[in-house]
Amino acid sequence: MATNETSLPVDHGRRNFLNWFLGTSAGAFLVAVLYPVSRYLVPPEVEESTAHTVTLSVKTQELKANSGQIFRFGSQPAILIESPAGVVRAFSATCTHLGCIVQYRSDISQIWCACHNGHFDLNGKNIEGPPPKPLEEYVVNLRGDQIVVSKKG
Amino acid sequence: MRQQRSIVKPIVSMLVLLILWSTTSVFQHVVLAAPAETDSCVTCHLALGVENLTKPAENFKSDIHAAKGFGCVSCHGGDPTIMGLEAMDKKKSYIGKPTGLQVIETCGKCHADANFMRRYNPNLRVDQVAEYFTSVHGKRLKEQTDPKVATCASCHLPHSIRPPNDSRSSVHPLKVADTCGSCHANQEYMATYKIPTDQVEKYKTSVHWQMMASKGDLSAPTCNDCHGNHGASPPGVSSVVNVCGQCHAANSELFNKSAHSKIFVQMGLPGCAACHSNHAIVATTDAMLSTGDKSACASCHPANSSGGMFAAKTLESIDRLKASTNKAAFALTSAEHAGMEVSQPLFELNEAKTALIKARAAIHSFEQAAVEKEIEPGLKVSERAYVRGVKALDELQFRRKGLVISALIILALIITLVLKIREMERKPK
Repeated sequence: MATNETSLPVDHGRRNFLNWFLGTSAGAFLVAVLYPVSRYLVPPEVEESTAHTVTLSVKTQELKANSGQIFRFGSQPAILIESPAGVVRAFSATCTHLGCIVQYRSDISQIWCACHNGHFDLNGKNIEGPPPKPLEEYVVNLRGDQIVVSKKG
Repeated sequence: MRQQRSIVKPIVSMLVLLILWSTTSVFQHVVLAAPAETDSCVTCHLALGVENLTKPAENFKSDIHAAKGFGCVSCHGGDPTIMGLEAMDKKKSYIGKPTGLQVIETCGKCHADANFMRRYNPNLRVDQVAEYFTSVHGKRLKEQTDPKVATCASCHLPHSIRPPNDSRSSVHPLKVADTCGSCHANQEYMATYKIPTDQVEKYKTSVHWQMMASKGDLSAPTCNDCHGNHGASPPGVSSVVNVCGQCHAANSELFNKSAHSKIFVQMGLPGCAACHSNHAIVATTDAMLSTGDKSACASCHPANSSGGMFAAKTLESIDRLKASTNKAAFALTSAEHAGMEVSQPLFELNEAKTALIKARAAIHSFEQAAVEKEIEPGLKVSERAYVRGVKALDELQFRRKGLVISALIILALIITLVLKIREMERKPK
């Protein structure tokens, strides 16, 4: 049986096709591996964010007393405030009434929602207008000149 | 000399009387604050074994006044140091069960005295009695001696009085509606007054009660927030906007500047309540702008009038922004669920949602331009977010197709390798 096999004539056309197909498949395989790797190495258009901690682009020395600014916490808005006394705090910027984005008003030193005139104090507590509960507070850590905000718990 | 003595005697007597009067008035509150160690009222009432006589003595143990050291004598008078019926001697200021005006006088004796109340609760208001006599209850009691109207003891259940922040109190925000309803929802009791008795039933269908009862928001309004508590009266037609504006300040400010404000007063329409109802205030919907049965405008403004056209155009703008925002949110959340990074456009989409809420508030100006001013930026944001969402979904499709092609390539490579190996094995040596 083994003798019969060795005596078979060699099919050059089939061998050439197999060699060509093997070379092409290997090349395509390399492309299929290298393309995602190259895409991974190129930075995305937007920075990746985590749901629980965010390092802000603003530095500690850029903060001003009695001011506030909105930043992105995952896909939700958050607000970083520095009280007139210089205490830095961060809260969810989503109003607890109907979900508008709140803002800091330096003239009254309060967090304010323009939609229905809701007021929150510097601890995020609802003090006037229709908001039914306080804003969710985040933890602010200062690492050197970096501001790192994270969710509680 | 005899004449001098005759003048001195009445002067001395008057001085003694004055001193006696002043000391009794000073000690009056001291007695209130320091009950006798053995209180014969409690001892006897607990021993009587008759429920309506023992219950007050039992309940009073948990009353805020007992906790502050007051006893039965503080309100009912008498002498708790004497055992027996002599303790209830009218000569010893015993008044028994106070009724009507007596209740107001009894409570007001301390609660209208700022100097006295400061010693126990400096923050507590001391104008309740004055307020009470401005209420419908107080006026009827004073002017018509109506014995059925509410007095202090009707709402602050006697012998079980607790502060409003105590959840067991009859005036805790969650209990106020039922406390008022104990009279106002009683058709038989209210029959003589010829006023509706469905207020509590309607209130319990409202968004305010829903917020309070279901979501635990105790700041949501109950009866006393709109009617006053001690000065309880229906707010006048022209005051409704101010009353609602305590919480809904932005809407009431816009309404007050609008053309509707003056016209409503002229027509005798009760401001906010004309469209939103009073007790059965349901959550607002955009259907209030429609011409359907939920319309708030159609009852006064025919569809072809300027008011009707304003409603139709506003509804169209709001629907446009709502549809655009929903479309963007759907595209972005689909991409997000598929694992794509879309947090930035999702973050930006919050601005469109804010614009939608602002536009709904701007309706209270009843000016198309004011609504459109909020709608336009919202549309721009939502359209931009939608494009980013579609781009993310396209990228997802591209990755999926790439995965299938890669898998096919790898499969082909494996097949070819197998064939190549078999061919090499068959090669002649």
